[in-house]
Formats: sequence, structure tokens, C-alpha cells
Amino acid sequence: MTKEAVQGATEEEQQAQSKKALKKQQKEAEKAAKKAEKQAKLDFAKDRYGVSAMVQSQQKLDRELVRVQDLTPEKADQLIWLRARVHTSRAKGKQCFLVLRQQQFNVQALVAVGDRASKQMVKFAANITKESIIDVEASVRKVEQKIESCSQQDVELHVERIFVISQAEPRLPLQLEDAVRPDGEGEEEGRATVNQDTKLDNRVIDLRTTTSQAIFRLQSGVCQLFRDTLTQKGFVEIQTPKIISAASEGGANVFTVSYFKTSAYLAQSPQLYKQMCICADFDKVFCVGPVFRAEDSNTHRHLTEFVGLDIEMAFNYHYHEVIDSITDTMVQIFKGLRDNFQTEIQTVNKQFPSEPFKFLEPTLRLEYTEGVAMLREAGVEMGDEDDLSTPNEKLLGRLVKEKYDTDFYVLDKYPLAVRPFYTMPDPNNAKYSNSYDMFMRGEEILSGAQRIHDAQLLTERATHHQIDLEKIKSYIDSFRFGAPPHGGGGIGLERVCMLYLGLHNVRQTSMFPRDPKRLTP
Amino acid sequence: MPMYQVKPVSGDMEVDLPTCMYKLPSFHASHGSSGSPEHALQNGEVDPAVKALEARQDEIMRKLYELKAAVEGLAKTVTTPDADLDLTVSSSLSSSTTFKGTTDLDALLGKDLGALRDIVINANPAQPPLTLLVLHSLLCQRYRVLSTVHVHSSVTDVPPQLLSCLGPRHADSYARHMFQLGFTLIWKDVPKVQMKFSVQNMCPIEGEANVARFLFKLLAPYPSDPAAATLVDSWLDTAFFQLAEGSAKERAAVLRALNSALGRNPWLSGPEFSLADVACYCCVLQTGSAASTPANVQRWIKSCDNLGHFGPAKRLLQ
Repeated sequence: MTKEAVQGATEEEQQAQSKKALKKQQKEAEKAAKKAEKQAKLDFAKDRYGVSAMVQSQQKLDRELVRVQDLTPEKADQLIWLRARVHTSRAKGKQCFLVLRQQQFNVQALVAVGDRASKQMVKFAANITKESIIDVEASVRKVEQKIESCSQQDVELHVERIFVISQAEPRLPLQLEDAVRPDGEGEEEGRATVNQDTKLDNRVIDLRTTTSQAIFRLQSGVCQLFRDTLTQKGFVEIQTPKIISAASEGGANVFTVSYFKTSAYLAQSPQLYKQMCICADFDKVFCVGPVFRAEDSNTHRHLTEFVGLDIEMAFNYHYHEVIDSITDTMVQIFKGLRDNFQTEIQTVNKQFPSEPFKFLEPTLRLEYTEGVAMLREAGVEMGDEDDLSTPNEKLLGRLVKEKYDTDFYVLDKYPLAVRPFYTMPDPNNAKYSNSYDMFMRGEEILSGAQRIHDAQLLTERATHHQIDLEKIKSYIDSFRFGAPPHGGGGIGLERVCMLYLGLHNVRQTSMFPRDPKRLTP
Repeated sequence: MPMYQVKPVSGDMEVDLPTCMYKLPSFHASHGSSGSPEHALQNGEVDPAVKALEARQDEIMRKLYELKAAVEGLAKTVTTPDADLDLTVSSSLSSSTTFKGTTDLDALLGKDLGALRDIVINANPAQPPLTLLVLHSLLCQRYRVLSTVHVHSSVTDVPPQLLSCLGPRHADSYARHMFQLGFTLIWKDVPKVQMKFSVQNMCPIEGEANVARFLFKLLAPYPSDPAAATLVDSWLDTAFFQLAEGSAKERAAVLRALNSALGRNPWLSGPEFSLADVACYCCVLQTGSAASTPANVQRWIKSCDNLGHFGPAKRLLQ
């Protein structure tokens, strides 16, 4: 046979095939249409389910929506409306089980074929994509057996009407159960866990998990307790500028911004302005605001932008008055978290188990020489004036934990050589300074000191550190017209939350973290 | 130059002295006769009688100064209960109770590493360790002790008298390195009293009796006679196991034993006040039945009260 002939034959075959296929398709379409007609006729529950029109404020309904956390046996047999997300949906023959979720709370809902729901309605419910927001009218029913997997264990909803308010796309970038699964469990049972980068890339979905909700509610609590405690002590909250003309901590780690015809910097700390407020007679101030550090370190505890909680206060005769004030504030924060946020702490512990946070009241204060003695006893070799390296800090934290059973302590009287130029030297021993660091679980959270409030001594120390006096002229000038002795320190909100909960990466406690490799979301 | 001279009225005549009266040596002639001894004295030496007198005077002055220092020390104790006492005061106040014998902190606690040596004691606020409080006040008399009280996060409410049980804060407490010893008391939810000192070289010590033994050794060594040392130990164990934690029957038995022991000696382990007395007194006080104890025990309780060391323990129980 020739090629054309072969082609001709296959063409014919194809035509015959396509004819057959066409016929087949037609037949199927007819069948489906008939079926749909039949079903449409029998669908008595047609107007009790469906996708609602987009809520563009068409009408103002005075409908009360009940919160999932209020669904208790007291509401049994009541008909209520509620809006929640579909956490899971599972169809089983004539029934469909849905788990509806609202923040940390979830409840089981049942759509069953009966006199209120038709087969089509059950099918529709089963096909609602996960994470869609739905409005449900249901009656609350008591259950004999507790539903272990939900937060509302004593009741379930029998759905009468179900409408989709906002539909989610069918393929989610990550599954919420996977995001909440503890790492160990994932490996054991071969189930998936989600790695941190994916979580951070899809932060909006990741933040919906119970763990994330708990972490950020606790963080909000920390901020609130900080403000309340300090306000009660007579502190005034101030706001300091973040666009500044000179680098405050050191020239290396500062972000430059173009400022009209010149350039400016993003503030590395509110240090200079806090001190100026003290010289302006505000006596005791604190400020909560962003801090920008252009440190190119990709560690578990560094961010380029974080929230700084800073304190500065004038004292009467000894800088220990400042330490006492700061440590008392921290202890009040810890007590407030211990007493009011236990549910959140337990929720986080389910995914990230850790030891509960322990502390002493009043806070333990050790001197630097004592810390060095403890390290030397443990075999570390270091000089009297050496700074503590990060592994040494962690070791010292463990030694202090073993001896005093506290996760929070202050190390006082650091050597002068390792502190910034504005630190007040120790009057009795030139090697040391009136400065202190505070540690949580062996990691540093606060660095503070008595500041030099005398313009002349400040100039001497700045010259000793080889700092260009022109750049800090306005800073030195603020002490020329009468300045009280003062000191203070600052903590990072994210780091404190991370260490309190025993987490291992500061990005877990930062809602939209910024680091050298991440600028979005 | 004489103004005028009077010629002698009577010339030299022989005077017949009567022999029926007694003779006195003549004053005027004595200057010459006793010249020799005075010459010897004029070499710069002092008459031994004068020497003795001077010695007595010095002795009296010294006693006066001692008394003055003692009174000053007493005045200090009245106004500042936690002040380090003068040696003269402590020796005169409690001469029968100073623990004799020298102790060396370096030998007991290890080499001085140039930093405060801090003893950490964890105790449950429901059962305050009275013995340790008494030993603390004795330690403060002997060394410069930095005392601090902390509340651990495992405990929520601690009554205020437990927070101030170690006395007022020392004026120099901002400079930890100026003290020889640190005494850190932490109120914590622990089943038994626990002491930690050197995490590397020592395991923690548990139980009030054992911690008491450790602290006592910082004040005075145990009696070198093994029999006496064992007696002290046995009273310690009796106090903590049977008196403090025992049933009513056991306690009655211990009180009877105390009574008979105190009938023979003024203190439990013999003629000297010892750790056994401290422990038993505190445990008897804690049982609350101090008023209904046998006669010898009552007498002994009074003697202990007179010593004045048990102030902190009694204040806590009120």
C-alpha cells in the first residue's frame, strides 16, 4: 500500500472513530441532561444552599452570628446562624461531616439527607473547598460521646442552610494540619510537615493555625503588660524619630535612605532620643517602635527589622535603682503571662514542646566576676576582661539554671573595654563599668548601662574610642545644660516571646519577618 | 644676800638631853644619811613601788576601755540587729556558747575564685526551715554574709514574714564582691529542703538535717571525739524524723528522752551548746507544744531563749 493509501485508510478510520466518539458523547450528554432534570425536579432544598452573591453591602441584615466558642450545651436545640471557615469536609454516603473553624475554636457540623436537606445539598457541602468562608444556619444538638478532635466537644451542629460567602481556591499552597504538626510526629508517622520558608512565603494561611494565633496573642499580651506595668510605675510613653542624621550605635549596620537631596539613616535604636528626653526632664520614659539593623547575619535570632521596647530613667544615687525597675517590669510581664495566658502557652507547646519558663522574684543579679568564676570552674578559659561569646553565654545560662533554677537573670559590672563609649566607668575599678546584660534561657535579651551624663567625660570616652566628635556633636550638646544621672536598656519583642515560649527561631514570633534574604510578604 | 644678821644670843652650849624620853632621829641630818639610795634612783629608774602603782593604773585603764567597747557594741546591737558584732561583745555576751575551734572557709568550700561564694537553699514556704534560719544568724555573727530572699515562679503567694526572715537588707548589698559568703534563700515548690553550692564539684544536699550539718561545719568543726559527734548526729536525726514528722506517740517518746538527757547535762550533747540543741529546740517549737513539755525540757528551753540566737525562729512562728 502506498503512503497516501495508508493515510487515507487511517483518515477513514479516524473519521469513523470520530463519528463513533461523537455519537457516544451525544448519548452521554443526553443521559446527563435527563438526570439533571430529574434531580432538579426532586431538589426540594434548592434554595437552602449555594454560593452567595459577593457581599457588597447589598442589604443590612440584622442577623446575629454566634461565635463558635459560645457553642455549649446551654444552647442545645436552638437554631443559630454562624460564619466560619471550612476546616475539613468528609462525605459518607448520605451524610457529610464538616469541621467549622473560627480562630482557635472548631466545631463539628453535619449535613444529612432528610426532610431539611437533599442529596444535592449534601453533595454540594462535600464539595466546598477547604478554607472557604461559609454562613450556616443550624440547630445545636448535644452529643453523648465527646468529640475529641474539636475544641467544642459537647455539641454538634445539624445544618439546615449553608451558603458560601468566599470561596477558596481548591489547591492550597499548604495544608493547615501539616503546618501544625510537630516535627517529630511528622517523621515518625510519615506525614508531611511544612518547612519554615514555605510557611513564611504563605504567611496569610500559616497565621491561621492555632499555634500562630496563640503565639501572636501572647505577643500582644507582652506588649500590653509592658505598657501597663511601666505606666503604673509613672513612666511616660514617647515616640522617637526613625529617620535620623547620624548612625547611633556604629556605622556598619545601618540602612541608608535617600532624603531629598542628601541621605539619612534608619534608626538602629532610640538611644539618643531617649536620653535627650531625660535631659528634657521627662524623668522616666519608654518607647515601643521599630528598630532597623542592617546586620548581614542569618542566624536564628537576628532580624533586620524588629520591635524594640526601650526604657530610660533618671535615678537618684545608684544605677541599681534602674536595674531594679527594669527587672521588676520583666517579672510582672512573666507573671502576667503565667497567670493569664496558660491556654496560649499550652497550645504552642503542643507543636513545640518546651520546659515552662522559670524565674525568681526579686530577679537574680550576679556580678561579671562571679559568672567568669562559674565558667572557669566548668573548664572554660577566659581572661577577666574578655567579652562572653555566644556559646559561653549559653553555658553560663545552663550553669545558672542548675544552681538557681531560673531562666532569667542579670549579669552586672561588665568590663569597660567591651562596652560602647557612652557607658559610665566603675568609680572603684577602672577595668569595669556600670553596665549589665539580661539573659533569658541563656540568650541575651537586654544590654544596658548607666550612661555618661557629663559632656566632658563623654568627649574623653568618645575620643578614646576614636569616634568622630563632629558626628555626635548634638548628642554631646544635650548634656551641657544640666543632665541628671540616668540609665536604661532595651529588649526585642520578638526575641523575648521566642525565648519565653522556648521556640528556636525568631521568625516564628515575627508576623512578617525581615532578614537579609526576605523582603516579602 | 642676807638682809641682816643677828648675832647668836647664846653661844655654843652643851645640852644635856634627858634619857627618860625616847629619841627621834633628827630630820635635818637625814638628807645626808639617805643620800646613797636616792643617788641610785636618780639614774632614771623608778621606785618599784611606783612601778607597781603604774602597772595597776594601766590595768584599770585597760579594763575601762574594754568595758567601754563592750557597752558600745551593746548599743549597736540594740539599734541594728544585723550589724557585725565586735569580737569583744560576742565573747562577753555569749561566752558559754561561742563555738570554739577554728574553721577555714577555703578548706570547706574550695579555693576562693575571686567571686562571692554563694550558698543556695531551696525551701518550701509551707514548711519554713527554722534550724537554717538560726544557723544563718550565727553565720552572720561570724562572717560577712550577703543574705537574699527570692520567690520562685513555681510559688504564687508567700506571706510577708517569710520574705523578711533573713533580716533587713545589708547596706553594702549592691557590691556582692565585698562579702565572704552568700546565703540565697529561694521559696520554691520543693518536697524537701535542698542546698546547692558548687554545681561542678558538689551534688545538691537534701533534707533540713543534712543542710544544717553542712552549715554548722562553717561555724565550728564537729567534735573530734567520734562518740560525741555521733551523739550530736543522733539527736539531729531524732529531731527531724521523729519530733517534726512523727506521730503524737513518737513525739511524746522523744520529749521523754530529751527530759532524761537534760537531767544529766545542761545541754543535749554534754557541757557545750551544739547543733543538737539548735535542731531540737526548733523542732520542739514547731510542734507547738513547748508549754506542755517536761520540767527539764522547759528549763532547757529557757536557757536556749536566753542565748538570743533563736529570735528569727520565734518571730517566724508568730
